[in-house]
Amino acid sequence: MSPPRALLRAEDLGREYEGFTALDGLSLELAAAELLGLVGPNGAGKTTFLNLAAGLLEPTSGRIEIGGAAAGSVEARRALSYLPDTPVFYEDLSVAEHLGYVAGLHGVDRPGPRIESLLGRLGLAERSDSLPAELSHGMRQKASIALAFVRPFSVLLADEPFDGLDPPSRSVLFDLLAEARAGGAAVVVSTHRPDVIAAASRCVGIREGALAYDGPPDGEEIAGFFDAALSG
Amino acid sequence: MESGRAGFEGSGTEALRELRAARRRHYVEELDVMELLYRVYVGAIFGAIGLGVVAGAVAEAPATAGAVESLRLHGPALLGAGVAVLVLAGLRAGARGGPLAIEAAEVQYVLLAPIDRGAALRPAAVRQLRAAALVGAVLGAVLGNFVFRRLPGSPVEWIGCLALFGALVPVSVLGAALLASGRRLQPRVANATGLLLLVWSGLDVAFGWTTSPGTALGELATLPFQHGARLWLVVGGAVFALALAAAGLGGIGGILLEAARRRATLVAELRFSAAVQDLRTVVLLRRQLAAERPRRHPWLALAPGRGYPVWRRDWQSFLRWPAARIARVLLIGVGAGALAAGAWAGATLALFLPGLMLFVVALDFAEPLAQESDHPSRRQLLPLAPGSLIPRHLAASTLAVAVVILGGSLGAVAAGANAATALGLGALLALPLALVLTCCAALSATADPYAYMFSPQLGYAVTAAPLLGSSLIVAVPLLAEREAGRGGGAAAAAGGIVFTLAIVGGVLVAVLSQRFRKRDAVAA
Repeated sequence: MSPPRALLRAEDLGREYEGFTALDGLSLELAAAELLGLVGPNGAGKTTFLNLAAGLLEPTSGRIEIGGAAAGSVEARRALSYLPDTPVFYEDLSVAEHLGYVAGLHGVDRPGPRIESLLGRLGLAERSDSLPAELSHGMRQKASIALAFVRPFSVLLADEPFDGLDPPSRSVLFDLLAEARAGGAAVVVSTHRPDVIAAASRCVGIREGALAYDGPPDGEEIAGFFDAALSG
Repeated sequence: MESGRAGFEGSGTEALRELRAARRRHYVEELDVMELLYRVYVGAIFGAIGLGVVAGAVAEAPATAGAVESLRLHGPALLGAGVAVLVLAGLRAGARGGPLAIEAAEVQYVLLAPIDRGAALRPAAVRQLRAAALVGAVLGAVLGNFVFRRLPGSPVEWIGCLALFGALVPVSVLGAALLASGRRLQPRVANATGLLLLVWSGLDVAFGWTTSPGTALGELATLPFQHGARLWLVVGGAVFALALAAAGLGGIGGILLEAARRRATLVAELRFSAAVQDLRTVVLLRRQLAAERPRRHPWLALAPGRGYPVWRRDWQSFLRWPAARIARVLLIGVGAGALAAGAWAGATLALFLPGLMLFVVALDFAEPLAQESDHPSRRQLLPLAPGSLIPRHLAASTLAVAVVILGGSLGAVAAGANAATALGLGALLALPLALVLTCCAALSATADPYAYMFSPQLGYAVTAAPLLGSSLIVAVPLLAEREAGRGGGAAAAAGGIVFTLAIVGGVLVAVLSQRFRKRDAVAA
């Protein structure tokens, strides 16, 4: 029996910013239905890795593929949904218009029910006609989550998605991530939260741009990584 | 998660089209048409009256036969060299990700969607090209309105040719930038290509050839001299500009998202700063857009010393300037000198530009002073009298601006001015002029951009005052000296001018000190 096809594959991935090495030879594979908790201290290279996978950054060495296609290519963009750490909006579009637009860009046929469902579950139904400037920090985060889930994907990258969420919304996000996995998607969540790491099927730790841990999300080894990372 | 997907490319592009239509509708719905019409009406009336008055008031003496012949022979190549410099700047900007400024949301949702990036970006690029061409054409036409008074040729010919030239120059510059960003040219390749074009134009200038694309465009600007005899060259220049734009638009889909995201953030801040007339922040953000950073190693490391810490700190800042900023400042200085030479020879209206150009230079040199102004609490901790620190920063900036003004006198000589007059005036006026210009820049850079949020008209006036002052403080002395020279009283006039400039400079230093004395008192 052949091993499951990797939905995300990074090979010797490196990225430098004017002499500063943000990511140094990272190799990683992620299969379908995996939920990977990406951890590491501030400045370790987590966001750089996610941006490289999303195609927002170009690697200075190595390569990264999404569903077998180079990150940033049309095929990779079709397969990948990216939830950034800072929500980004058009200031002149309402929440519902944003969702309809993004669904349209990804070719979703009749997105109405999906949009209504997401807005309802995330507690945004009453704010569907609100402009971004009228939303609180938490509501903007929830709208950003809805935008990541309104379109089909086989790989989801989420950068600190639980930040700013109230407990009911955190629970909804856990459910959405579980549904994505159940649907066969590979999910990468960058986080510092123990409850998120506990929910992951696998944990990857990055320190100073290099892979420092790859294994189960519990046990002594990951606890050792956290101790080492936090103590510098 | 893969269900519910329709045919991707088609529907994605359609969604993009629908969104743009919806946004246009929103914009139109919120637009106050009467207010807009009123603004256009008032702007057109005042613009037309201003243009008519200035054109009539400035007695533009017809150029001499020698000057006309010289312009006919060398004008196209010189203009071509100017175009080549701008194309080089465009290529450099493109290699850093310019000139498109896309919204952050557009990068996040559109450019990460599985649709053709070229199709998504082209409308914005076309809009930018169209707007730049329009502005260039209007400026060209305005210039033509003055040129036909001094040079042989009909008004229609001059206004038409210069409007077309004015439109094609930004098209070629933006086209080069789009080409460099879309094809992801490495900065060194972009620089080399631009320099090659510049050297080619330089050879045209040196040998009187018409071979480079820039010179061909320059032929368009001087076509009324040629009576259509060199039309085929003009067509070549226009084709060059349009081909650059077409090639740039063709490859626009290849832009780096990293650069697009960086520009999206900076341009949003830039627009806000421009809206509150915060000139200094506009300059700083422009520098960041151009990826202009201080050098890690200074051109010259100053030996540690105990005396004159402010003077040393300012020079430490200037000595870390990147080569591009040094070159730009020197070029602006030389250009200002060349314009002043033209104005001295009779094109009086050009006399108002050198001051504005030198103000931009002074704004760069006022940066250490402006940074000091940003940190009132740091000033409070120093054992100095309130308001006494800021004026100390003027010394180094004034000297540096004076050096640029001396460079400007060389530019005037290169543009045909009498060497003794240009160098003599430069040496005499450099320091007092530099002091006034530096004070104007310092007043502008340390103005509180939020002080006039609720009375924007007053804010416009306060923003414009240092600009207008700089323009006049260069124009009026030169005009006075020119007229005095014609009457044989140049030496006496020069003494008076230096004395007046010193007085104005002293007053401005006092105003600046008072501004910070007040601020420091409030902070305390």
